[in-house]
Amino acid sequence: MESQASASIAISVRELRMGYGSRVLLENASFDVKRGEILVILGGSGSGKSSLMKNMIGLYQPMAGDISIAGKSIVSASPDDKARLQRSLGVMYQSGALFGSLTVLENVRFPLDQFTDLDLAEKNLTARLLLRQVEMGAAESLMPAELSGGMLKRAGIARAMALGCDILMLDEPSAGLDPITAANLDRTILTLRESLGFTFVVVTHELQSIFTIADRAIMLDPVSRSIIAVGAPVDLRDRSDDPRVRQFFNRQPTTAHPAGIHP
Amino acid sequence: MAGSHPALNGDGLAGETGEAAIVLEGRITAYTAAPVWRTARDTLARRASVPITVDASRLEHIDDVGVALLFDLTRQQRPRGADVRIRGLAPKFAALVEAYDPEDLAQAPRGARRIGTFEHIGRATVAQLAYGGRIAAFVGRCAAAFAHALWRRGTIRWNEVLEVATEAGANAVPIVLLVGGLMGLIVAFEIGLVAQQFGAVIFVVNGVGVAMLRELGPLMTAIVFAGRTGAAFAAQIGTQKVNEEVNAISTFGLDPVHFLVLPRLIAAALVLPLLVVMADIIGIFGGALVMTTFDIGFLQFYHQLLGAVDASDFLIGILKAATFGLTIAAIGCERGLSTGAGATSVGLSATSAVVSSIVMIVVIDGIFTVVTS
Repeated sequence: MESQASASIAISVRELRMGYGSRVLLENASFDVKRGEILVILGGSGSGKSSLMKNMIGLYQPMAGDISIAGKSIVSASPDDKARLQRSLGVMYQSGALFGSLTVLENVRFPLDQFTDLDLAEKNLTARLLLRQVEMGAAESLMPAELSGGMLKRAGIARAMALGCDILMLDEPSAGLDPITAANLDRTILTLRESLGFTFVVVTHELQSIFTIADRAIMLDPVSRSIIAVGAPVDLRDRSDDPRVRQFFNRQPTTAHPAGIHP
Repeated sequence: MAGSHPALNGDGLAGETGEAAIVLEGRITAYTAAPVWRTARDTLARRASVPITVDASRLEHIDDVGVALLFDLTRQQRPRGADVRIRGLAPKFAALVEAYDPEDLAQAPRGARRIGTFEHIGRATVAQLAYGGRIAAFVGRCAAAFAHALWRRGTIRWNEVLEVATEAGANAVPIVLLVGGLMGLIVAFEIGLVAQQFGAVIFVVNGVGVAMLRELGPLMTAIVFAGRTGAAFAAQIGTQKVNEEVNAISTFGLDPVHFLVLPRLIAAALVLPLLVVMADIIGIFGGALVMTTFDIGFLQFYHQLLGAVDASDFLIGILKAATFGLTIAAIGCERGLSTGAGATSVGLSATSAVVSSIVMIVVIDGIFTVVTS
């Protein structure tokens, strides 16, 4: 029944207003995530990138507007439908959010334990392959408390992929990683998109990572509380008329100097 | 797409050559893979000595579970000439399946090593001894910090002491009144019923007075305090440890014991006796209330009470309370500072702080009883 256009859209955000309490972070935001693309959500610290992602996952209720996943609204869905929609998303949280009482392998196996009737050996094999995809094979029997920040994130990605969801949402996957690990992670994301056809929504402000992986980027601005740019990162860097966008991509400091400091 | 049609699996004999075939089609995902995987394994087991062809040309989509399935089929140990071959697998999927090394995955993942009884006892003993040593060292550090603070006046953070005292003391008044009052009521009623049979109801007053002042007042208040405040100390300091705030304090050249522990120790030692006074009063009042039903009025109760208890009973109770307060705060803070990494360890610290505190309270209470009787 779905038209050709809406079938190619994984997530659609329409006239979204979101924030905390009376504080509005983003107003009148509309954009689409297309199937199979890697969309990056950009913006400075405090611009609401992570909050936007949490609205898209259905963890937070937007103040106004609508968000639909594969054509179904997650804002107005019944609790059961919402749970079903959420299960179709794989999410990696900023800190990995692994369960502290389970080993890394058990963490990755957790969604398989909950939602499939696979045998233990089969689930273990799947979980071990997932961990090897994110180069975490050697850490499979460690506890989360024994891992570094980067390892937690990679294990978190493996767990997010376990149910083979179409859409993976990653919150700052490469923040705080060393350049080699970050580059490997970027490569992993590209490989996964190629081979298994995942759609990615990635929240980040790591410029290198943005240019490597992103098909399109949307940029949030905390002052105007709006999306100030949409497009391929290279286009935004080279062709944008907006000084805020150029400043971000060229990594320039703000021109006004802090009080008391004269150049 | 959610709710996709399951992959079909068939196996059959391609007659003349003696080969077996497994056909995979459609989508193989986490939700649909289980029966397919099982059938495929069965086929492999039943046809252990013939070559097997897996026809994957009609696969539309696989996810990671599908990749694991295909990998599992290719890595099977089989006799020569009976190997498993996958045919027609799309190159993008083939690249995924071939990316793994069967050698690497041959060994089962290491689970937790099982520990025998003797090893368990040995480990527990070592752990307890080490814990005893840590507590002793911690008490030493606290004493040193306290002496240091007394020596150099003005280094105790009284604002912090006041804040902790408000939270641990003033905010605990309602629950202490409730528990203390109920204790008095219950004790008076239980002893009263027995004493009535001997016509000795008036001596219930003696029982309630001594029991509340010397034992139940301090003990019950301390147990409430351990659950409320001891656990909170362990959780607060434990969270600060996990968030590296304790490290930040150390690198500023400040002593975490002086900075975090000392205010809590002082506040607890000051505030618990005050709470006990309230528990004593309300408990005795509760007892008096019950005694009116045994035909002993408030005035008679009061005169009997004056003859039954003296200041030493009250003071022993207060001294106990101060000791309990110090003990609970010390154990709570020590547990907090020795918190490991991760969110679960904070919970463990809080729990173990309460349990250790209550055990220590009872032990100390026993020592007091022996010494002061």
